[in-house]
Amino acid sequence: MSDLQQLYTAVLDGNARASKAIVEQALAEGADPQVLVTQYMIPAMDEVGRRFESNEYFVPELLISARAMKTALQIITPLLTAKGAQPIARVAIGTVKGDLHDIGKNLVSAMLEGGGFQVLDCGVDVAAEKFIEAIKTKQANVVALSALLTTTMPMMKTTIEAFKTAGVRGQIKVIIGGAPVTQKYAEEIGADGYADNASSAVTLARSLVSK
Amino acid sequence: MKARHECQPIRHTLPPHEILGREGLERLHKASSRILSELGVEFQDEEALEILRAHGARVENGIARFEPRLVEEWVARAPRQFVQRARNPRHDVTLGGGQTIFAPVYGPPFVLDLEGRRRSSTLEDFQNFVRLASRTPVIHHTGGAIVEPTDLPVETRHLDMLLNLIRLSDKPFMGSVTSPGHAADSVAMAEILFGKDGIRERPALLALINANSPRRFDGRMLGALKVYARARQAVVITPFLLQGAMSPVTLAGALAQQNAEVLAGIVLTQMIEPGAPAVYGSFLTTIDFRSGQPIFGSPESQVGTLASAQLARHHGLPFRGGGAFTSSKLPDAQAAAESVMSLLPALTSHASFVLHAAGWLENGLVASYEKFALDCEILEAMHHWSRGLDLCDDALAMDSITEVPPGGQHLETEHTLRHFRKGFRGTGLFDYASFESWSKEGGLDARARAGSRIRELLRDDQPPPLDRATEKELASFVTRRKESPG
Ligand code: B12
Repeated sequence: MSDLQQLYTAVLDGNARASKAIVEQALAEGADPQVLVTQYMIPAMDEVGRRFESNEYFVPELLISARAMKTALQIITPLLTAKGAQPIARVAIGTVKGDLHDIGKNLVSAMLEGGGFQVLDCGVDVAAEKFIEAIKTKQANVVALSALLTTTMPMMKTTIEAFKTAGVRGQIKVIIGGAPVTQKYAEEIGADGYADNASSAVTLARSLVSK
Repeated sequence: MKARHECQPIRHTLPPHEILGREGLERLHKASSRILSELGVEFQDEEALEILRAHGARVENGIARFEPRLVEEWVARAPRQFVQRARNPRHDVTLGGGQTIFAPVYGPPFVLDLEGRRRSSTLEDFQNFVRLASRTPVIHHTGGAIVEPTDLPVETRHLDMLLNLIRLSDKPFMGSVTSPGHAADSVAMAEILFGKDGIRERPALLALINANSPRRFDGRMLGALKVYARARQAVVITPFLLQGAMSPVTLAGALAQQNAEVLAGIVLTQMIEPGAPAVYGSFLTTIDFRSGQPIFGSPESQVGTLASAQLARHHGLPFRGGGAFTSSKLPDAQAAAESVMSLLPALTSHASFVLHAAGWLENGLVASYEKFALDCEILEAMHHWSRGLDLCDDALAMDSITEVPPGGQHLETEHTLRHFRKGFRGTGLFDYASFESWSKEGGLDARARAGSRIRELLRDDQPPPLDRATEKELASFVTRRKESPG
């Protein structure tokens, strides 16, 4: 049986090739996929988060760890789904229509993924319809909207309105963010939450889905 | 208060500060040529790709690749310098040719107001900053989206901004780039002001075209670029590089990428309209790897400005770079230090156009009134600085030296009387008083004095006169466009 502690280390070090190889071998040897995730991978990402918060890890390290996590999850998730297990939540994330800024959105996306969420990244310049499709066909239950321009912030409101019109608003939580966005604006347009950085975005998403 | 017209753009007398030797330039140039010929640049606009293909670029899957000779040939058609006209001809500015033009900050969605509140910016703030730009002699150019009037509807905001830029200041200004339609509106309004031929002869608009780096121009920007190039208005092609995110983390790699992106953009403008004015832009900085947030005012970016200016000169193009950058949240010591450090390389490298020269705060998210005044004080000193050293006989002052005996004093010599008024006094914001007089005046710090200066400047509400008929025509254009936005 392979040493599963190595899986923990692979995710912590951001070694995607190793995390994939270890998971493949472990599964071939009959390991329980759920155990791989909850006992090794999530604790590794928790440690990554801790190191990030305490300034030991920087953004590039955070991103490669999230990638190592994602690579391993790509193998494991189908097995879990087949068994009927659900991820914490499925987040459809994107930068709203008219806006091409994605550095912050990508960070949030990576952090959510690292935090155990299944993330559907819709990209930039995303119209409401695309989010609605993700809600309807991919069962997203959290929608994360990013906007960096005051000219595209109103699209957040428009998008939320479109969710209402499409009758999906009730089945999702909407979180928003981006440099010009404020808590006050989130309240004004009826979003469920606002966070001003990627790690609080994860905390926020967790608190919303556990409600 | 100085007269409105007193200050002229900086005309450099000192040689430019160049940090790249021949070999260094060559290395950057080679890397940049490889990027252009082997990797290429993505253009997210079919028509732009067609134009590039028709003129000899290799186009494949949205990516255009350029042979070095093609680049050279087309970049050479862009003018080395050009005049941007202002509605008051005394404020016409020359971009290139050893002059430096200062313009205010561009784009912040927030202001730090005189009550110390950080809040969303409004039309009133926008108007205030246009007035400040108009009334401040060291600001030569009104700029464009000085702050975003977030209280106005998005679809027609640009119209109000343009109208106010024209009404409240008679210095040159920038066109809107938020969409090709907005660019067309900008051109239409400039035509009302100067006539169709008038703006083709000499551009009336300067437009900020950012590359969506790495190696990509997006559709919206290209749409605006086409409108401006066809109208022979000036474009500033600026790859906006956050090192480590949108370019390599190392400065040399970032410079090579920047050079490739600028040249690709300029080649396109020239293929659309040979001879149309175009500026080599640089907006290059680092990020805080703890958060991913940009850092403005970092030493890397300042070295980057020096090297970029040299690359622009190498290609015979006017250069935009530098600014009063800072990451600070307040107009404090950090803000002042970073701003001076970031403005100086723009000055010493002879940047042609320095956007963000006054008012920038908090990574460009905030425009600060007080910092605007403080930055202008720095700009004032820079005007003085750039005059360099006068070595004529009268400046050597042998007469005066002879006249004053050992241990005597120069305070009342004829020479001193003739010259002392030319010395640097600033605009009165910096404090040179004794402790006692300073205390008597309230013991204020620079920020507080800056606040009073701004209040004073905003009190006098006399926009520069604008011809009635023109004003009416502009206003009715705006009304028309608001009724049927295209
Ligand atoms: C980098 C940048 C660009 C790059 C974007 C590259 C990319 N791939 O993303 C480029 C060059 C393409 C660009 C283009 C433009 N930009 Co720009 N850009 C910036 C800049 C400097 C940094 C943004 C950034 O990446 N920050 C780093 C990340 C990590 O931070 P963040 O995005 O804020 O994200 C964090 C949080 O906000 C939060 N978060 C973000 N999203 C979400 C979502 C959720 C759900 C949650 C919970 C949290 C959250 O978590 C993130 C991580 O901690 C900002 C200024 C600034 N200081 O923010 C201007 C800025 C946003 N841009 C601005 C402008 C004006 C433009 C242009 C219009 C300029 C032009 N003339 O071309 C174009 C518009 C293009 C378009 N249609 O979108 C203005 C906007 C002002 C306004 N009035 O609205 C700004 C403020 C700069 C300025 N003063 O002019 N830009």
